[in-house]
Amino acid sequence: MLFFRSEEMARQWCVEHDYPLRPLVRMDQLWGLARSWYATRLQADARRPPPTEIVRIFAGLGLRGDFWNLGG
Amino acid sequence: MTIDLDVKLAVYRHFAEHTTRPTPIEVADVVQAPVADVLGAYARLRQERVLVLEEDGATIRMAPPFSGVRTQHVAIVHGKSYYANCAWDVLGVPAALQAAGTVHSRCEQSGEPLTLAVDAAGPERSDWLFHCHVPAARWWDDIVFT
Repeated sequence: MLFFRSEEMARQWCVEHDYPLRPLVRMDQLWGLARSWYATRLQADARRPPPTEIVRIFAGLGLRGDFWNLGG
Repeated sequence: MTIDLDVKLAVYRHFAEHTTRPTPIEVADVVQAPVADVLGAYARLRQERVLVLEEDGATIRMAPPFSGVRTQHVAIVHGKSYYANCAWDVLGVPAALQAAGTVHSRCEQSGEPLTLAVDAAGPERSDWLFHCHVPAARWWDDIVFT
């Protein structure tokens, strides 16, 4: 899970490391993920979102498609 | 189990206060329980994907978003420097601490530094991108690699 300055930088990195280019995530979407996962992490009633909720979080941020599918 | 919650809170509060991972002895002292019980809680919290442990089962590698080891992803909050596990988690540090901060990382291809101010509304406007080469369904197959 890495940052890239541009799509071209990500593309170059994937070629050099023999990985497929995956969906690129904007900074505002990443903030949505970070908040969803961690905003309550230091609180006693914090919990990790269950898979169904995770899929809803992804979709709500516009992150749809096979890459974001948790499967099974 | 109550001890699992107590241990989890002790671990996270230690990271928040000190920026570094606690030892099992330090956690045992906080929760007033034997070290063996703390290690049992560690194992259960690992199963729940709350902690990631080193092979010894006693050393915390990750208490996401916090990292127990140095990384290229650093969040500065309240003047303290926190190592995060990845690009996602470095934004998670100010989110978890519910405080404004500054995030430092880099472009993995070019090495160009990234510095980003973050407040309650999120990071400042930026056209940098996040990429994960492992599909979501396989993130926890090897979370350190992910």
